Amino acid sequence: MKPITLKLKREPTVTLEAEVICPDGFAEMSHEQIAASVVYHGKRQVRLDEFFDIEGERSEHLVLHGSLQRVRHLGRGMSCGSMTIHGDVGMHLGALMKGGQIEVFGNVSDWIGAEMSAGEIHVHGSAGQQVGAAYRGSLAGMRGGLIVIDGSAGIEVGMRMRKGTIIIGGPAKDFAGLQMKGGTIILRDGAEIRTGAWMHRGTIISLKPLALMPTFAESGQYNPTFVSVFSRLLRRHGFELPNDPAKGVYQRYAGDRSVPGKGEILIWKGHPEG
Amino acid sequence: MQKSKFLPRGRKDRTVVLVDIRETKSAKAADLFLQVRPGKDFEMLTILRAMIKGEHVTDDQVAETGLTTDVLQDLIERMKKAKFGVMFFGMGLSMTRGKHMNAAALLTLAAEMNAFTKFVAMPMRGHGNVTGADVIMRWQTGYPFGISFNRGYPRYNPGEFSTVDILVRGDTDCAFIIGADPGATMPRPAIEHLAKVPTIVLDPHVTHTSRLSRVHITTAPAGIAAPGTGYRMDEVPMPLRPALNSPYPSDEEVIRRIKEAIAEKPDWMTDQPQMIFSQV
Repeated sequence: MKPITLKLKREPTVTLEAEVICPDGFAEMSHEQIAASVVYHGKRQVRLDEFFDIEGERSEHLVLHGSLQRVRHLGRGMSCGSMTIHGDVGMHLGALMKGGQIEVFGNVSDWIGAEMSAGEIHVHGSAGQQVGAAYRGSLAGMRGGLIVIDGSAGIEVGMRMRKGTIIIGGPAKDFAGLQMKGGTIILRDGAEIRTGAWMHRGTIISLKPLALMPTFAESGQYNPTFVSVFSRLLRRHGFELPNDPAKGVYQRYAGDRSVPGKGEILIWKGHPEG
Repeated sequence: MQKSKFLPRGRKDRTVVLVDIRETKSAKAADLFLQVRPGKDFEMLTILRAMIKGEHVTDDQVAETGLTTDVLQDLIERMKKAKFGVMFFGMGLSMTRGKHMNAAALLTLAAEMNAFTKFVAMPMRGHGNVTGADVIMRWQTGYPFGISFNRGYPRYNPGEFSTVDILVRGDTDCAFIIGADPGATMPRPAIEHLAKVPTIVLDPHVTHTSRLSRVHITTAPAGIAAPGTGYRMDEVPMPLRPALNSPYPSDEEVIRRIKEAIAEKPDWMTDQPQMIFSQV
């Protein structure tokens, strides 16, 4: 199927809320219908083709080009198809998504994959705050699916997430896994302070040492079997988790006891060479 | 201090605990002073949350906050024994590392203390009618701050719609500032954006913000030369009677006249209509 190509032709002066840019809707739309879709430039309703050059029709594969920092809510609630974005993207990318794939060659802003329940988001650049988090006042964040960030991430990664996996390649800021209820966060380059604060359940795996909250208790060193199984699943994203007993072990911490929670933080400790 | 049926000895029946990073003048008025290490409020509050539930905490775990388990245990006993506890918190909590989560930790602790006794938490306000703005926004929209109306209904998302974040990202093309001076307090990118876009300021005085604004309308100072309602820190509304006369209009009058002037020109945006499709 030939993808629909959208090229940003002029940068919005204020935020552009474009939840219509979503494979679900565009799969059934003719070129004219897509061009006439309503986006919100600030408060004003404008046609989509005022900001984008559009090519193609009736496809659930979208390709976007341009610096879209002010374009928000892309792929909101999408359930199928794919979006490939070349450029930086604004907030709420793939929020509430139920399926499909998003790939971004650039940086993304806050709240990406917020409260998503399935699907995949892969960001080749860095992410802002609240990756896969719960919106304010909501009890559960991400409920399934996979988010891969190759670069760094801001505060509150996976806040109140219930299920699913988040992988951060670069360093994450404070409060990664805040109030987690389930799911897995993998921090390949560690995080700043207060990781796993107030977590009820769920797993945080860090390959770098972390400064933990005082309410976490050490609970043994081992090589969990599930890490090897998980590692095999992650191989198609181009990396593996170390779990060779000859090379090192995972130090397990249980917490957060203030909640009191049954979450776990696993920190990889490589054996000194030789 | 007020004596009552249940607290016949007044101040002697009450306990004041001060928690700060240094011994301030308020420490003299307090019964107990706890010196917490800077930036460790969140850790201390989280440990307290664990301890009130009877979780065992060791001195090693508490050490990084600069306190000891005995001190915290004593504090918890006092809190649980109290008939009615109030926690006051200010900018030391909300403007240091962790920001809203430090406040959230305190509010959660107050909520959890209600399993034992009555407890509330109250923010210590700065200048002006800050509480009033929060209260009015709350009953009008359901949210206290960080609200966007661009879709025709209120949406709340601090970080996305709060003033400082919008200005830092440069997401507005106009700013209307009423009785505030963001030019003196906000970070540099926000101030630069205010100087770049048309900024309109309503203020009785010349401020940092009014200096970088396109339009400054001088208004009568509220509560001194203009009547109104000020909200006390505990959300009690107080009617304000003007003591002086001012040649300038009040904020309310200026905004009303702007609204009337706009209403007289219904076609002021014909080249860019607000809606391209009639809304159902």
